[in-house]
Amino acid sequence: MAGLVRAGGRPRVRRTRAPLPRWLPRRLVGLELLATLARRRALVIKLAFPLGLALPLVATSAPPFFAAMLLTVLVTLIGAVGTGVTVVRARGGGWLARLAVLPMAPARIGVELLLASFAVDAVQGSIVVGLVLAWRQPAPLIGLTCWLLVLAVLAIANALGLALAAVTDHPGETMLGLAVLLAPLLFLAGLFTGIPAAGPRAWIALALPFSYLDEAFQLVLGGNPPAGDPTSFALAAATTAVVAVGVAALLGRAVLGRER
Amino acid sequence: MNPGPAPPAPGPVPLEAMGLCRRFRNGRGAGPVDLAVTAGEVVALLGPNGSGKSTLLRCLATLTRPTAGKVRWWGEARPARVRARLGVAFELSAHVEEASGIQNLAFFAARQGRRRDHPRAELEAILAGQDLLAVADDPVATYSFGMRRRLLLAETLCPDPDLLLLDEPTVGLDVTAAQRLTLALRASAARGTAVVLASNDTAFVERTCDRVGFLDQGRLVRDAAVATLLRELGPLRELRLRCSGEPPMDRLRRLPGVATCARTRDGVVLTARRRDGLVADVVRALGDADRVLQDLQIRDPDLADCFLELVGRPLEA
Repeated sequence: MAGLVRAGGRPRVRRTRAPLPRWLPRRLVGLELLATLARRRALVIKLAFPLGLALPLVATSAPPFFAAMLLTVLVTLIGAVGTGVTVVRARGGGWLARLAVLPMAPARIGVELLLASFAVDAVQGSIVVGLVLAWRQPAPLIGLTCWLLVLAVLAIANALGLALAAVTDHPGETMLGLAVLLAPLLFLAGLFTGIPAAGPRAWIALALPFSYLDEAFQLVLGGNPPAGDPTSFALAAATTAVVAVGVAALLGRAVLGRER
Repeated sequence: MNPGPAPPAPGPVPLEAMGLCRRFRNGRGAGPVDLAVTAGEVVALLGPNGSGKSTLLRCLATLTRPTAGKVRWWGEARPARVRARLGVAFELSAHVEEASGIQNLAFFAARQGRRRDHPRAELEAILAGQDLLAVADDPVATYSFGMRRRLLLAETLCPDPDLLLLDEPTVGLDVTAAQRLTLALRASAARGTAVVLASNDTAFVERTCDRVGFLDQGRLVRDAAVATLLRELGPLRELRLRCSGEPPMDRLRRLPGVATCARTRDGVVLTARRRDGLVADVVRALGDADRVLQDLQIRDPDLADCFLELVGRPLEA
């Protein structure tokens, strides 16, 4: 609470109010969302900065291969960066230890932590994909599956952030881990070189959701990717979302530091 | 001093540690410790910094797995089955800082206890009990350290747990809040709640707890009722005195029953194992040496003296 002194008058106490004061959250995801809503400036920056990168890519005649690669990297970073760092900070401040002794299954806590980060990231990612779709107006099915893939990649990137939070103790270490983990994954997904027609790298790329999102963005932007159709995009999105939730559930115990 | 533990309730013991040990690679930690806490009993763990109080409490609170030994809660060894009956407050009062006090409380009340739905009026009453109603809708980020500690206690006590585990519960509390905590813990104990707390606040422990366990280098060196421990010290009494001129140290040391007599910056600290006639003897000794008593403070022994007597080291490291 900041006390300000009015010139020649009584001290005026400026009271800060928490967001949605009448709402009493009963779930972790609700409490975490309140925290996000309260950081208004950070929220505006978070929602606006992807547009600063996405807008030039769709508004100019950037080659679809190049633009799709950058948009995929952008979506992946949106998902991965915040979660890991937030969770590591929460552990350092003792918040996770408090959660760990609650009668909640660790899997549930893991999933709720994922959902809380994902909810904001989904708004962020949807603004980007909404802009791209509105500008390029692809076939509705392509547009819909592209949006679903964005959500799925955000979910799996959040899960990767959680995984790194489980094995790191410092935000800087988490960021470094993300760079070390994501760079080869994005490379193997064929973002920088394209997907080979056959061989082990082609199979690896097929197993990574980033490759599908890259192709979906290429299609939306008028490119001609070597493979990819709305059915495979939808399947990839569904599988990725399930894997992300599963990973978060499995990591719950490790993230909390709960040993039993 | 408190009226003593409530009669034990029938059924399994709320908390039982058998050979409980949690050691780290550097050799520090706690254990082996044997400890049983019955329903309605308030037990304190006392020990200097690094004696293993918090480590032991984390094991008892289901957070940390012991490296050896066992813990049973109401006879149950699986933590997941008992967490709903525990109220745990660690030393760090972590909250979602951007949310308000009542929003944080609503979350813990819903998640911790047996009941999910707590109306706003009920939560406000709980906050009022901790003198936090005026700031109920303010973000926790604007709270002082003491207010955060009181919010933490409100969150821990509100679901009315069957077993309370508190680490340094009086840190950051003013005298009134600490007295209110004593009343709350005694009321919980009267309802059958077992309480284990780690604290070096000897005044708080003496008026709140039934039993005390002294921890030293991870081991429980003594576990007894507060009254027993104080009685065992015998008629120990500490006098702090100031007199005109140089204190007659030799005369004071030769007084019957004097255990220690040390010179301080502005006077003398004297401990004696008797009470009757001690002050009169001291005044007489000063008079015999042509000194005038200028100031005298008398202190009865407390748990810190018990610890020093038993372990040979002061409680505060």
